[in-house]
Amino acid sequence: MSHEKSPLLELQQEFIRLLMNGDQKIQSRIIGTQKVPVETRLGIYADAYRFRLIDALADSYPSVHSLLGDDDFIALANAYIDHCPSQHFSIRWFGHQLPTFLQQTAPYSGSPALWEMALFEWTLRDVFDAQDFTPLTMDDLRQLPAERWSDLQLQFNPTIQRIELSWNVPALWQEIDKQLDPSEPISCEYPLPWVCWRKIDQKNWFRSMDVDEAWALDQMRQQASFADICEGLCEWIDAQHAPQRAAGHISRWCEDELITAILPLK
Amino acid sequence: MSTSPQLPALGFGLGLRKEHYTTILETSPDVDWFEVLTENYLVSGGKPRYFLDQIRERYPVVMHGVSMSIGGSDALNMDYLQQVKDLAQQIEPRWISDHLCWTGLNGLNAHDLLPLPYTEEAIKHVVKRVEKAQDFLGRRMLLENVSSYVTYTDSEISEWEFISTIAEQADCLILLDVNNIYVSSVNHEFDPLDYLHGVPADRVQQYHIAGHSDFTDYAIDTHDAEIIQPVWDLYAQAVQRFDNVSTMIERDDNIPELSVLLDELDKARDIAAKYQP
Repeated sequence: MSHEKSPLLELQQEFIRLLMNGDQKIQSRIIGTQKVPVETRLGIYADAYRFRLIDALADSYPSVHSLLGDDDFIALANAYIDHCPSQHFSIRWFGHQLPTFLQQTAPYSGSPALWEMALFEWTLRDVFDAQDFTPLTMDDLRQLPAERWSDLQLQFNPTIQRIELSWNVPALWQEIDKQLDPSEPISCEYPLPWVCWRKIDQKNWFRSMDVDEAWALDQMRQQASFADICEGLCEWIDAQHAPQRAAGHISRWCEDELITAILPLK
Repeated sequence: MSTSPQLPALGFGLGLRKEHYTTILETSPDVDWFEVLTENYLVSGGKPRYFLDQIRERYPVVMHGVSMSIGGSDALNMDYLQQVKDLAQQIEPRWISDHLCWTGLNGLNAHDLLPLPYTEEAIKHVVKRVEKAQDFLGRRMLLENVSSYVTYTDSEISEWEFISTIAEQADCLILLDVNNIYVSSVNHEFDPLDYLHGVPADRVQQYHIAGHSDFTDYAIDTHDAEIIQPVWDLYAQAVQRFDNVSTMIERDDNIPELSVLLDELDKARDIAAKYQP
């Protein structure tokens, strides 16, 4: 059996090393012409590789781009391309590691508002093309018999993303979205819970929540019952008012199209 | 009795681009079919799938992918192929196409349509993979010629001999990108008519025509500009050589108003009518 390396594989290895590391070994495999030398020909591919990925990042992270400005964003993109080359067939996923990269890599790690903006933008991207759904209506909820409330469990909108943010990045994002110059980032006293989701009209929504609402939403998304939530809410309010508070949260979630179904009794 | 492998022609189509979703639904333009970029719709839901489903109800579609890496040395990505197959089951495209190229190695993706060397080894390699992909998808697929900027010392034959041999041996169809032929002919100094005359007429299913960027000594396939006269001239030559081929205007960047592309499509119709009355 022959152990000779395939010439096709060898060529592809050298080509990939050109694109990703700038290794020029592949030059000996290319025929240049008087008009267009080998370096120019290979440069077209090397440049296109970077430009395409920088474009993809700029498309996924318009507000990070705006906060940094063109030059710093391109420097960030090049560093990211070198550290996190694309491993997915679709370029849509190329930027998925940028928030972590910013959080862990100097000098970006010293700008927490920057990586929170990246986290927020990637979250909105995930919301944008998440699974479709049919929301539960307020009428559906009103028809629930009183005796069913205690065991009530809900199914939630599959586009929901829950994040905690310590900076006012959603406000900055809105300024940038309106093509205004973003203000200086402001840190919050404590991390604020946010919910991001898509409504049936295909538009992305996001809002901050009180801590108890965020807790209740997280619990009910993990199949906690209405009774469980009432009990847990006693950490914030007295037991007498807990059911009303819990019902208020559920009602708002329903209006916001965050709920898709009432789960059948087990 | 020999029968042509060609599928029924669809007429004159456009690439479906998100900038035109609403205009298409509001105005129902005179377009015979749309080509959709497969990867844009391999998502769970949301706007892309919403608009695709709406437009699919009104127009025939074909799927055009960029990620099969049919000439790559990694194993075929069966997860990707499964997603393509699932989408095809949902939107029932008239056909599925991808490019005669490779796009990455060792699990890393260059997101570019990288050229293959025109060798016996590459032919065998690609034919085997096309057969596997076609078996999996349960249909004949189309392979498109890409624009290229390098000639490999390894290459033994012309590009048109390469694509023709693969199409015949793998029993697949050809998506002839007229602009790519023009761009490559500039970059490699060959006569584009040799290309047109070198591919088997009964395997050409679809044309792409598009604009590109001219750098005097070479050209780059940017798909971001109007179609230039030499590409129209080459298209006129193509319609005289091939029958039953569907035409599509492909604009990927610097997307203009839909009306600009509809004008280009009308020009393609006029040229085809002149030579194929």
